Amino acid sequence: MKLGSVVFAGLILAVGLVYEIMALNMPRGRLSYPGPGLFPMIIGLFLIATALGCLLQEILPRKKTGEGPSASPLPSQDSAAPEGRNVIKTFQLMALMIGYTLVLKTLGFLISICAFLVVAIRIFGYRRWVPALAMAAVIAGISYVSFVLWLKVPLPLGIFEEILG
Amino acid sequence: MDLFSGLIHGFSVALTPMNLLFGFLGAVIGTIIGILPGLGPLGTMALLLSLTYGFDPTAGMILFAGIYFGAMYGGSTTSILLNIPGEAASVVTCIEGYQMARRGRAGAALAVAAIGSFVAGTISLIGLSFLAPTLANAALKFGPPEYLAVALVGLMIMSRLTGGNLLKSLMMIALGLALGTVGMETVAGYMRYTFKQPLLAQGIDFLPVAMGLFGISEVLVTAEEPAGNMQLQKVRFRELWPTLVEWKRSFWPIIRGSFIGFFVGLVPGPSPVIATMVSYSVENKLDKSGEFGKGAIEGVAGPEAANNAAVGGAYVPLMALGIPFTPAMAVVMAVLLIHGITPGPLLMSENPDLFWGVIASMYIGNFMLLVFNLPLVGVFASIIRAPLYLLMPIVLLLCLVGVYSVNNSILDIWLMTGFGLLGYLLRRLRYDLAPLVLALILGPMMERSFREAMMISRGDLSVFVSRPISGTILLVGAIVLVAPLLIAWIKPLISRKA
Repeated sequence: MKLGSVVFAGLILAVGLVYEIMALNMPRGRLSYPGPGLFPMIIGLFLIATALGCLLQEILPRKKTGEGPSASPLPSQDSAAPEGRNVIKTFQLMALMIGYTLVLKTLGFLISICAFLVVAIRIFGYRRWVPALAMAAVIAGISYVSFVLWLKVPLPLGIFEEILG
Repeated sequence: MDLFSGLIHGFSVALTPMNLLFGFLGAVIGTIIGILPGLGPLGTMALLLSLTYGFDPTAGMILFAGIYFGAMYGGSTTSILLNIPGEAASVVTCIEGYQMARRGRAGAALAVAAIGSFVAGTISLIGLSFLAPTLANAALKFGPPEYLAVALVGLMIMSRLTGGNLLKSLMMIALGLALGTVGMETVAGYMRYTFKQPLLAQGIDFLPVAMGLFGISEVLVTAEEPAGNMQLQKVRFRELWPTLVEWKRSFWPIIRGSFIGFFVGLVPGPSPVIATMVSYSVENKLDKSGEFGKGAIEGVAGPEAANNAAVGGAYVPLMALGIPFTPAMAVVMAVLLIHGITPGPLLMSENPDLFWGVIASMYIGNFMLLVFNLPLVGVFASIIRAPLYLLMPIVLLLCLVGVYSVNNSILDIWLMTGFGLLGYLLRRLRYDLAPLVLALILGPMMERSFREAMMISRGDLSVFVSRPISGTILLVGAIVLVAPLLIAWIKPLISRKA
């Protein structure tokens, strides 16, 4: 039994239950003229059944056969945890993306993406600050010219917008 | 328009300078991402999807076809030279290809892989050219029950073929279908699961989901892996020509791989990956030299032909029925959808430029790939030395800008980030992402077909089995779903009796 798999299947089961309750509160119509709630009701039951199945599969003891009927003789990249896996980087990157999204409107694309790139470059293992800053500035500049000036993507200008009026 | 006049028309579309440029760009991008481990063709297409918004849809389709084929070519390079598969469909090539490289036959392995890919690509395109129009004409007889049956059976087959746990795959399908019901329902305008957020009224867009699940989660997984030491073998141009014996040994594996790949490509699932495995198994069984595992050229020729042929096969259901059977085809379909074009049986008659232009451009792209891949193999292989600390932040930047540019919406960035985390967790917990994405894209079509079928039949559920085409399709689906379970149940009983 893997705790992560149990928690995830349990979470999906909870989502399925909420989804189904909401579907039952929608007009279902008749079978000859289905309403907006009929299809979600069927999907909700399907979601609950499969999530429950996954949960039981993880909880109940089973024969040691691995992952079930696998058609793949190939090593999966997601199988065993490799030595030296650095999970902290995942959290750092997620936090970085959340931070970028939060400040994008206020600081604008250029400043936000430049700061984003400096931190991302360091997360991916480059340690020196000044070259990291220089690389980030160059990439941010190129992306600004390409996307904002050339392709006219209306990315938020943030504080620049106020300066430019 | 018959086949030949269609193809001639297609070449007149594909040979315009702009479309040639897009074909070339796709081939180069595809080769590069095929070489780079981590970023596969699917992630790249998802990344670039938003940029195709500004292009002509034919150009966008040509670009993506080039990327898909190019990735199959590029993937073999690092498999052979470094024992590092650039993407999943080249994993099998590592087994024999790297052993050949260690014996000093890297050049021959690369040449056979490239020429085999070209031959297979051409055979599968001939198959596509013949089969897609025929199937499209047959599909004109399809009604809502048939469309629902095809989509349902497609998802069922995929859940069996992805190689993982059946229950987990079914749960992913259910989750994808559930996500597909978010937003304003089309018949009565009823808001479903929007939590009074107006931005969710248009539903959960496929793009942030695909970019998050495939692009962002790939970056997250790559970030965790420890950096390895790479020793790139040099290949001289004159070493690229295989010996006569190697040619003879490669011929039939390439032909077999081409047909295996094409037919596996028609089936829902990660067809290029499965095609390489089937081809490798077939060649291994037919082998009489005893060289398998020590660098047998058949083990490179067959699988490399198969993965390219599978790409051509995978286009058939999309171009003929408008139903994508693989996540990559779902992204290709999204190129059409964002331009307001609904692929399906009428695509050929309503958009002949697009239909035939894309097929013709695949022939050209396939030839381009052969011509510049062989001489530049060393240059392409050296791309793998590009530092991750530069590459991955650039990929993230493209994701962030790309997802925002479609609807100019910060909500899409949030969705992409959330699905990136979900994709990462699902990969770590050994869930397959493909059924979720396919169910999300097929879900609204399935609901529409279900409701229309119910209205046509006045609520008679037997309409799905009483109509010959949908009944047959559903029967096939039931067999695929139940047969392995029955076999697993009967096998121990038989062996106990014996």
